[in-house]
Amino acid sequence: MKLPCVSLGLLGTILMLCSVDNHGLRRCLISTDMHHIEESFQEIKRAIQAKDTFPNVTILSTLETLQIIKPLDVCCVTKNLLAFYVDRVFKDHQEPNPKILRKISSIANSFLYMQKTLRQCQEQRQCHCRQEATNVTRVIHDNYDQLEVRSAAVKSLGELDIFLAWIAKNHEVTSSA
Amino acid sequence: MQTFTMVLEEIWTSLFMWFFYALIPCLLTDEVTILPAPQNLSVLSTNMKHLLMWSPVIVPGETVYYSVEYQGEYESLYASHIWIPSSWCSLTEGPECDVTDDITATVPYNLRVRATLGSQTSAWSILKHPFNRNSTILTPPGMEITKDGFHLVIELEDLGPQFEFLVAYWRREPGAEEHVKMVRSGGIPVHLETMEPGAAYCVKAQTFVKAIGRYSTFSQTECVEVQGEAIPLVLALFAFVGFMLILVVVPLFIWKMGRLLQYSCCPVVVLPDTLKITNSPQKLISCRREEVDACATAVVSPEELLRAWIS
Repeated sequence: MKLPCVSLGLLGTILMLCSVDNHGLRRCLISTDMHHIEESFQEIKRAIQAKDTFPNVTILSTLETLQIIKPLDVCCVTKNLLAFYVDRVFKDHQEPNPKILRKISSIANSFLYMQKTLRQCQEQRQCHCRQEATNVTRVIHDNYDQLEVRSAAVKSLGELDIFLAWIAKNHEVTSSA
Repeated sequence: MQTFTMVLEEIWTSLFMWFFYALIPCLLTDEVTILPAPQNLSVLSTNMKHLLMWSPVIVPGETVYYSVEYQGEYESLYASHIWIPSSWCSLTEGPECDVTDDITATVPYNLRVRATLGSQTSAWSILKHPFNRNSTILTPPGMEITKDGFHLVIELEDLGPQFEFLVAYWRREPGAEEHVKMVRSGGIPVHLETMEPGAAYCVKAQTFVKAIGRYSTFSQTECVEVQGEAIPLVLALFAFVGFMLILVVVPLFIWKMGRLLQYSCCPVVVLPDTLKITNSPQKLISCRREEVDACATAVVSPEELLRAWIS
């Protein structure tokens, strides 16, 4: 009779540790000024989305429709998607309009800061990439690759509000305003 | 003949060389670099307001204009050829530029300035060390402590949307607990505590900038005191009861004194009932001294009574 109790106790402890660990990871981006990033995007959203030539296709669909990202995968998916934007989307997009360029630069540099913050957080805690998380980001990259580079970049920029909302929800970042 | 040719050649070479050397300055001189580039670039940053400053380019009798461009860490890593014109300083007069609206992320930024005079422009002068806004100097906030009756109210300096405030307040007595309140924005009065009369309360505050995760130092502590009441509550209660008693007793006393005075000054004489003579026959008791027997009672009329008195 003692054995089931002991194993239950162990399981409970493990679950508790996992949730504590994840709760800590979820609060990694707590100091980010999300409100400013959202504001910057709102100012250019219409102009960017107007350039989207494939309105019926989405790249970040896996985030919106499947709300499947489990707490354990939040760190990995955040890390991967930030890299997706910083390494691919912002680079592939050539913006001629100085006003829009200013806002995109602000968002890109803020994402760079978020990557650094996340990395510091990871140094203290694990940020494993499970198969599910890797699959989600692979789907996004595949969606991106299916379109011509410039169209894909514009479309991904236009879907930034989906990504920002997802970050705010999963990292418990509250707007300062 | 050969010597003559050689001399001619030498002269020709010298002339050519001389001409070439004379032309070099003209060839090398480019209109663009006549104007010197601004020097001594620096950034003064206080409370998240960033000011790029430089030594002015002096051209006697002329007004020199300056243009500022910036490049975030993202651009310097992924697109180093991209420089973005500053929001407010494309052709500005003063040797300074408010780049607060340009530095919008907590990463190192490169900044550069050049001078313009008419069609001439100088070379770009780049800030030596990239500027990161997390190096801003945070000063303690200005605060105004007021008493609204017994309410302790604080109004903090408005430093913009990036600033939050941590307010610490306590009762000035040994062992008192320090309370902490987070105030989201300045410029509006905030209620801290309802004070007890006769006690002193102290307050200090510091700012917090979420975007860079830093606090300022605490401001100077300010204390206020609330005057105690003249009569404590219990005494006030007694005073009230006494007042009510007085309200009842004094009129009664006055009335009684009035009655007394009335009796003593102007008494009303009233014949006792036994001496009253009425029209109806009365029983009178007549006694003879000699007779020890019970006095005989007789019914007499008033006339008989009068005759008895006269005789």
